[in-house]
Amino acid sequence: MSADDRHAFPDPEVAAHIRMTRRNLLRLTVAGAAAAGVGTVLSACGVSSSPSPTAGGSGSGGKPSFAAGTTINADYMKSGTYDKAAEAIAPVFEQVTGGNIKISTNAWADLNKQNVTDLVTGTGQFDVMSGEWWIVDGFPYLLPLDDYVKRDNFGGDYIPNLFQPGPSNFYQGKRIGVPFSADCITVIYNSELFKNAGVEPKWDNWDDFIATMDSLKGKLPSGVYPHVFQFGAPEQPGSLFLAAYGGTLIASDNTYKVERDKALRALDVIKRLVDYGPPNAKSLSIDEATAVFLQGNAAALLSWPSFVRTVADDPSQSKVVGKWAVGSLPGPGFPLLSCWNHFISKQSKNPDLAWEWIKTYSNVDNGTEFMLKYGVGSPYDATYTGPEASKHAYDWPQCGKNLARAKPVPYSNDVWQLLYNNIGDFLTGSATADEVIDRWHAGWAKYEVPPSLIESAVGQGLKAS
Amino acid sequence: MKEAVARADVRGVPRRRVDWISLLRWLILVIAVAIVVIPLTYLLLNSVKLPREFLTTPPTIVPSVLTPEHYASILSDPEFLGRFRNTLELTVASTIISVVVGTLAAYGLARLHVSPTVMTIVLFVFLFIRFYPRVTTVIPFFLVMRSFGLLDTVWAIVLGHLGITVPFVAWLLLIFFRALPFELEEAAMVDGASVLQRFWHVVLPLAAPGIATAAIFTAFFSWNEFLIASSVARNESAVLSMTVASFVTDKGIYWGPMAATSVVMIAPMIAFALLVQRFLVRGLTLGAVKG
Amino acid sequence: MAHADPLGGGSRRREGLWLAGFSVPALLLVVGVQLFPFLYSAFLAVQDWSLLRSPQPKGFAGVDNFLWVLADPVFQVSVRNSVMITGVSVVAEVVLGILLAYLTSGSTWRLRAIRTVLILPMVIAPVAAGTLWRMLLNTQSGLVAVLSGTTGLPSPEWLSDPAWARIAVIMLDVWQWTPFVMLVVVAGLAGIPGEVLVAAAIDGATRWQSFWRVELPLLMPVILVAVMFRTLDSLLSLDSVYSLTAGGPGYSTHTITYYIYNLGLRNFDFGVAAAASWMFMAFTTVVIVVMFRLHRRVDVA
Repeated sequence: MSADDRHAFPDPEVAAHIRMTRRNLLRLTVAGAAAAGVGTVLSACGVSSSPSPTAGGSGSGGKPSFAAGTTINADYMKSGTYDKAAEAIAPVFEQVTGGNIKISTNAWADLNKQNVTDLVTGTGQFDVMSGEWWIVDGFPYLLPLDDYVKRDNFGGDYIPNLFQPGPSNFYQGKRIGVPFSADCITVIYNSELFKNAGVEPKWDNWDDFIATMDSLKGKLPSGVYPHVFQFGAPEQPGSLFLAAYGGTLIASDNTYKVERDKALRALDVIKRLVDYGPPNAKSLSIDEATAVFLQGNAAALLSWPSFVRTVADDPSQSKVVGKWAVGSLPGPGFPLLSCWNHFISKQSKNPDLAWEWIKTYSNVDNGTEFMLKYGVGSPYDATYTGPEASKHAYDWPQCGKNLARAKPVPYSNDVWQLLYNNIGDFLTGSATADEVIDRWHAGWAKYEVPPSLIESAVGQGLKAS
Repeated sequence: MKEAVARADVRGVPRRRVDWISLLRWLILVIAVAIVVIPLTYLLLNSVKLPREFLTTPPTIVPSVLTPEHYASILSDPEFLGRFRNTLELTVASTIISVVVGTLAAYGLARLHVSPTVMTIVLFVFLFIRFYPRVTTVIPFFLVMRSFGLLDTVWAIVLGHLGITVPFVAWLLLIFFRALPFELEEAAMVDGASVLQRFWHVVLPLAAPGIATAAIFTAFFSWNEFLIASSVARNESAVLSMTVASFVTDKGIYWGPMAATSVVMIAPMIAFALLVQRFLVRGLTLGAVKG
Repeated sequence: MAHADPLGGGSRRREGLWLAGFSVPALLLVVGVQLFPFLYSAFLAVQDWSLLRSPQPKGFAGVDNFLWVLADPVFQVSVRNSVMITGVSVVAEVVLGILLAYLTSGSTWRLRAIRTVLILPMVIAPVAAGTLWRMLLNTQSGLVAVLSGTTGLPSPEWLSDPAWARIAVIMLDVWQWTPFVMLVVVAGLAGIPGEVLVAAAIDGATRWQSFWRVELPLLMPVILVAVMFRTLDSLLSLDSVYSLTAGGPGYSTHTITYYIYNLGLRNFDFGVAAAASWMFMAFTTVVIVVMFRLHRRVDVA
């Protein structure tokens, strides 16, 4: 068991250096590890006994095998969900491993920018990053995780497709990300309002859905609207487009293109939906749209359950406790999957500790607990079939079903930005549907589709043959 | 002041219309003051409003109870405190360095016998630096800082600011020094004072108001600046101007903490502005109107 | 500049060295922090380089970046928006600034207090001013929405309607920078000799005629400089758009500065961002040159 085997992926020199620091040695000595040389230290952390203190310690009497004061940086989206969960488990992690973790939070767009520049410029500020396809430009600079996954037999608990390429992020055939959440946009409805109006919350496609909205329109109390959506959050109408579109996103010649007929129909659906929302429908952020629904002022909400469920069940913030349920998203498109992955930067000086953090964060128990406490959609099968699921019959089982249909989008951030900004112009009447599609194609022509996105698109059936 | 009195006489309007006109005048002024004060008051109210009152229908304008929770949450957040400290460090460092370096340069230029053409070029360069699109140089500046390993340090922001504030300070004081009578210095020269002694004992005391104006302008600039800071700073060296914007997330806006942060950022500047109003006005209008 | 020289030639030279030495740190800073990045950006403008696609420049691109920018519909929209937003803002600021300068002229404590309050928006960080107006204009909870609701005025979807979003950006600029024009005009007024006005009054000019025929022409150079200050600062401002509308809805409040920022510092498309910024700079340089000449003339006068 040579050092080189163990550290095939992090730079062996760097790894050795970390282990040789005086503080590290001192600590291990004090801990009774009876080690005075590099070899001893390394073998104490060997594969068989695993460097993971959570997995039983390393022969030093359960003492942490990471030097106190070793700090890793991790970043999350500022959202009151994933970030809050991370902050909650940080003290446990620090106690168990002896390392420190510093958690930064940023708005979505800033987070992407920060991650990608950190990676591409080789800054190495973040050990653990969270993201998805949008940071595809940074994928070459991420550490392959296959060895860790194999060593710790990690990943068996996931909903199977989430651990596959696509939802899980891969680069050149190697795994670089492991999921820590799963959520997809869908319809959440107020069962009481539907019942009182005598309308069934059932729909297969968007025409059905709009017909349902239309029949609700005259039957709801005044000040209550058929549905509400966060048109005001710039990128959100993009997910609506994908739900209504149902065509391919990458053309047979490996360029970004949409099928015009289907895209025109999808844009039309988006525009028609605006009329069934509140008068200020176009300016609502995710929180504001959610609040309209929670006040009982909308029969349906198109949103991400992870942002809704905890507040919806809190009587101090919600008037719909016990009256809301998750429904299915109309077709022919797919529910956009949000499946956040944890990544480790190749620049990280403490990849082992970073991996420990990922394992501390991502396990079945936390999956269920974070779903209960912070609303984070669990990526684990057991959550949706376990005892808690039956207590959340109005929510979890349908979410599990929706996830089976959900797909990640094969877009990098700039491609995605062109998609949603032009939809924004379409919604305000600054561009016609045809102009929007022309502008997409003209703008996208500049970007080559990275191979990993082509792979993913093929796997998800989103590439024209 | 004599002129002001004279003008007031001339501007006296025929008596019978006075009331009507002065009523209109005060009405407009009251409206103008309200347009300034009401948004600031609203900000203050939002900073002590309960979170749920931000999303009620109809909206809550005046909070039912005043809650200190947003202030408590930002002031107990080490990230916020770090950014506050960074902002303070940035402001102090860039003000001191700009004033020292800029004043020296201005004095040197004012007393060197440079040709008018060179002086014109220098003045043009100063003005150009004040007004060219900074967005042109932020990317190269980002790359330079990256190659020096200064990314995400307060020093990177300080350097970026100095590139703008030093020429400004030099410009302001150049105008100032050129207007100073040379005779005092001559007298000191005859007494055998060196150039450093003259600068220190004769020129600096005379230039104090100009230097104060320059320092205040620099301090405001560094405290408030966003573009340069946001391009070279990320976490460790992030400053308040970036924090204020970061509460606008895709999920929604964290109104309470955003309002509290804004207050923490704005209040010192307003207090400062009231204290040093005279210098501030001069700094702001300088260039448009001669010193 | 010709001063009597009480020193001998040797110490004069030494003194010259000292004085030149005084300027060295500033010179180094200007070269290092301004000139070098400046030239670097000219280099970038002709390189094929998007940081996200490649860590190093991919090669010489000639004028491709410039052509790409010119053909980009978003650039065209951004230029239109910038011209519109800046144009309207500056006109409004000048008219209101002159009005407020006249209304607040005087030295009673009331007027001084009002002037003090009116200049406060200028000291607020533009990015904070942007978020403040975002609060005010929010359709769910904002003060403006509530006021228009209670007074029965139409309540537009401020930040999600293209025209209203542009108006919001203009309102913010006017709110924050009208006091600047006011201060400049106040200072300019102080420079008009009282005798001129007395003479006009003796000639039988009404107050209005005196303003229009005597004071305004005298103030004109100062106002022009203020106009150019505001034009450039408004064109260059990023913070307020960034925090008020983030360029939205869609592209309707993308300004040139925001466009370049987004290309360069969000998408890291360095080549095209540099090309766009050089085109922008060509324009601002013209304004700066005009302003510089005017400024010298004011200086002389």
